[in-house]
Amino acid sequence: MSEVKLGNPAVVGLGGFGLTTLVLQFHNVGWMPSIGPVVWLGLVFGGLAQMIAGLQEQKTGNNFGYCAFTCYGAFWIALALMLLGNKFDVYKAGTEDVGWFLVAWTLFTVILWIGSLRIHGAMAFTFTTLLIGFILLDLAHFGYPGLTVVAGYELMICALAAWYMMARIILNELYGRELLPAGKPWVS
Amino acid sequence: MRKTMLGFAGLTLLLTAAPAWVGAADSAVAAGNPNAATSDEVVTKVHEAVQYLKDKGLAGFSDFNNNKDARWVWKDSYVFVYSCRDNVMIAHPLRPDMVGKPILQMKDDKDHLLFQDMCKAGANADGGWVEYWWPKPGEAKSSRKISYIHSAEVSFKPDIQVGAGIYDDTTTVDALNQRAAQVKQPKKDAP
Repeated sequence: MSEVKLGNPAVVGLGGFGLTTLVLQFHNVGWMPSIGPVVWLGLVFGGLAQMIAGLQEQKTGNNFGYCAFTCYGAFWIALALMLLGNKFDVYKAGTEDVGWFLVAWTLFTVILWIGSLRIHGAMAFTFTTLLIGFILLDLAHFGYPGLTVVAGYELMICALAAWYMMARIILNELYGRELLPAGKPWVS
Repeated sequence: MRKTMLGFAGLTLLLTAAPAWVGAADSAVAAGNPNAATSDEVVTKVHEAVQYLKDKGLAGFSDFNNNKDARWVWKDSYVFVYSCRDNVMIAHPLRPDMVGKPILQMKDDKDHLLFQDMCKAGANADGGWVEYWWPKPGEAKSSRKISYIHSAEVSFKPDIQVGAGIYDDTTTVDALNQRAAQVKQPKKDAP
């Protein structure tokens, strides 16, 4: 069993996290008028696929990946269901309710952000932009709606940073060399 | 008024039963047409719509796009929803052809860029009134319209504004802005 090469579940987790985050920002900055694609991607890619990747991380012994992918997968499913709930008048969540939902996820992200600083530069950068993005979205839901757009552009950087990590796992392996470096941890 | 008087005189000469009816119609105009929305109704409806969107989020937009729901279409008025930043009409119960279309370059019959004025008024914390020319529901010819505009806070959709208006030839924007400040409802729901 030990000689069987296993794939890294992070490639799917990062792919789903990055793509769904990116598409939500297409909506937040006003390029994509409908929230529809966010709902479906949130359920399937950012949600289901990332969550499965997270559960697979458990077997690799990586607690950070296990927690991050599974929990952010759950975040997307919850967000998509919340948007659907509003549509069908089931447990509607108003702007401030969504705000509190985001505040809780911001606090959660702080813990993983502290962890990310010790992993490598790319991870620290991704989680720093994610945390800033969450804080901007919090403010956007409590009286500064214009910050949604700022959060939108900021979180696009976060999504692309997640994809950078996905790309480096896949491409570094295929090219057999350090094509894309991870960068030094911010805290050692 | 002169037209009404002429019509009144003509009808009095021609018909014996008609004068009472014409007189009633004339007094209705003078005292305020019962089928015309009032400025207070408009302010109340706009605040109601702002709260509705705050509660329901993005999913609430489509509810403003049907004219069967008397909640957002009443008398000769209706609530419309748009975004200045996205330059788009999001909901208009009586003009589905305008929904999804750009608004900022639109001009009224007096060559005013009406939505640019509305965007400025809606940017005020307490909203504001805007004067422009727009046809009454079911009419082709434009009438003087004054609309109350207020911004709405919607999850994942910044810069949403909500408006509704009255058709009126005399009321001034300044008078209405003062009145709007008085009837403004508290933002929070009662506990």
